Amino acid sequence: MSTTFNRYFGELRKTRIWRSVFRGGTGQSTLRNSMAIQQNVFLHLLPTKVRTRMIDFNATWYLGTLTLGTFGILVITGILLMLYYHPSAPQAYADTKDLQFVVSSGQFLRNLHRWSAHAMVFLVFAHMFRVFYRGAYRPPREFNWVIGVILLLVTLLLSYTGYLLPWDQLAFWAITVGSNIASAVPIMGDKVRFLMLGGHFVNANALLRFYVLHCMILPLAALFFIAIHFWRIRKDGGLYTRHSEPDAVMTTAPAERPL
Amino acid sequence: MTNEKTPDSKASPKSFVAAVASDARKSPVRVAFVTRRTSAQVQAYDEPKLQSFPEVLFRVAIAIEVLAIILVLISLFFNAPLEGLADASHTPNPAKAPWYFLGLQELLHYFPPVVAGVLVPTLVVLALIVIPYFNINVEADGLFTKDRDKRLRIFWAVSVTFCVFLLVFDVIVALVPTLITVALMAYAATATPKSSSKFRRSLAAKPLSFWIMSWFLFELAVLTTVGTLFRGPGWSWVLPWRS
Amino acid sequence: MADEKQQRVQTAANPGVDRREFFLRLGLGSMGIAAAGTAVFAYQFLSPNVLYEPSPVVNMGKPESYQLDSVTLDVDARIFVVHNNEGFFALSAVCTHLGCLTAWKPDLGIIACPCHGSKFAMFQPPGKKPGEKFDGPAPKPLPWLKMWLSDEGELIVDRSEEIRPEQFVRV
Repeated sequence: MSTTFNRYFGELRKTRIWRSVFRGGTGQSTLRNSMAIQQNVFLHLLPTKVRTRMIDFNATWYLGTLTLGTFGILVITGILLMLYYHPSAPQAYADTKDLQFVVSSGQFLRNLHRWSAHAMVFLVFAHMFRVFYRGAYRPPREFNWVIGVILLLVTLLLSYTGYLLPWDQLAFWAITVGSNIASAVPIMGDKVRFLMLGGHFVNANALLRFYVLHCMILPLAALFFIAIHFWRIRKDGGLYTRHSEPDAVMTTAPAERPL
Repeated sequence: MTNEKTPDSKASPKSFVAAVASDARKSPVRVAFVTRRTSAQVQAYDEPKLQSFPEVLFRVAIAIEVLAIILVLISLFFNAPLEGLADASHTPNPAKAPWYFLGLQELLHYFPPVVAGVLVPTLVVLALIVIPYFNINVEADGLFTKDRDKRLRIFWAVSVTFCVFLLVFDVIVALVPTLITVALMAYAATATPKSSSKFRRSLAAKPLSFWIMSWFLFELAVLTTVGTLFRGPGWSWVLPWRS
Repeated sequence: MADEKQQRVQTAANPGVDRREFFLRLGLGSMGIAAAGTAVFAYQFLSPNVLYEPSPVVNMGKPESYQLDSVTLDVDARIFVVHNNEGFFALSAVCTHLGCLTAWKPDLGIIACPCHGSKFAMFQPPGKKPGEKFDGPAPKPLPWLKMWLSDEGELIVDRSEEIRPEQFVRV
């Protein structure tokens, strides 16, 4: 079957239409495989070659990849959930109830969105500590580590703003507590809280603001920084391996020093 | 990837002496020394590589598929929580944030909001950003292998001050991981890179950043666990299996 | 760029600022002014001018409906109305820590916050003014709110105005 598939797919790749869409060309050569990465606007963020050692599960535990996966799931399920959701109080709560009991697969999509969000927060933290203990933040990758810290903050803000949207008790009081933390900022705390909530109370205005942040501003920020994060992996010399560093650095690493 | 190498020391006599003003171990600079009238030697580092397409991309796709399957299974069997309609006139007891904020909420129980809610998170973020720009990290030397006495004095002064501070505010939950970390660091100070056991050797080789980050991870785990499982009405102690 | 290498001619009238420098400053300056204007505009846009929030002034009804030595929590107004020997007063019921709604504990004679365990004095413990914090993380006491009798003889509370403690309304 796979040969049949390959034959038809090979024929398809030779057609004028396919070749007008994908610039990678046809055939199976190394050049073609490189071009498949280089000539694609999204994939060209990635390196065309990767050290064989780095695709080993133990090298990275695939934590960054899995974080990207959760982000993808969250974008897809999030867009679907938006179709049945009005960001107004108390309609938002009724919509959430409808998603659970009326909309086909609504409960499933909401579950998937919620659990993926939890998984993403966990994976982002795991990725950060893993990168730290591998020493993969060292020059020249220091700025990519900073981008990673920004992405951690964006992830936490995404999950925080998403928390208010069901407009249930948990949402309301978590945001009440959170917005009062903002008002503890010295001098301009009350102003910050006022701008954040769009009023003095956690109310319909706050719900709308959090909705816009959660569905537009923060996902766009996340995409922006994810793109830089990936591109910097390529530009900074691929995924970090200790042995890809020059000997001079390696000899100072205590673990490698003869005892 | 290529790798410039200094010719061996047997290549003598040196025709010139090169000096680098900065400490190369703190801010690594790759320098190639050409000691004779030869061209610079470049030794290619022949590390096997794979094409990203298709080998790596397919592995990525499989990893994400496995993740998606696990999450779909979880979503099929466990429903996302939904409480009653938001009600400003009734505060649930206890009012808990999502689990990843419960470490912060545990701190809010002890410190004023400006400390626990603003100062601590800001310091954590700044510390995280500073890590790769911090010379001690690049150096990757054991904390107590150099300047031992001076560093030990600073270490004890900082640790004791911090523990007393936690005691004054009665933050036992944060004090316990701190004490364990301090004890491990003190134990590491007694070890040297020539110690007999492998564990002691590895402890002796840990740089300062390792200790700070591990302490942070330890605190994060303990505070989050306590906040999630062991806190009940009025933020009092409860046992999770007795609810 | 080729013009980078061109020698800069300093005019006698303007030593130190040649034409290139002048236009650079003009450009950066105008962009700075535009950025400041944008910041002001953004701040104004993000602060709502009209809020459909409940009025801070609430009518708490006739004083006779509050028994002597009673503490009444109005959950909608989020205030306590207290009647003791010295008269009536109103206390905010919103915890000064992180905004949770506090609760009156009649058996202990105190006000307690369910979120982070702050405790505020009412009739207990002795020696503390009502509203004063005696335990927990709250940074400030519960504020006393301005209260007066309307012409119809009803208790009116302005929740936006805090007053010094121990000012009672006597009927």
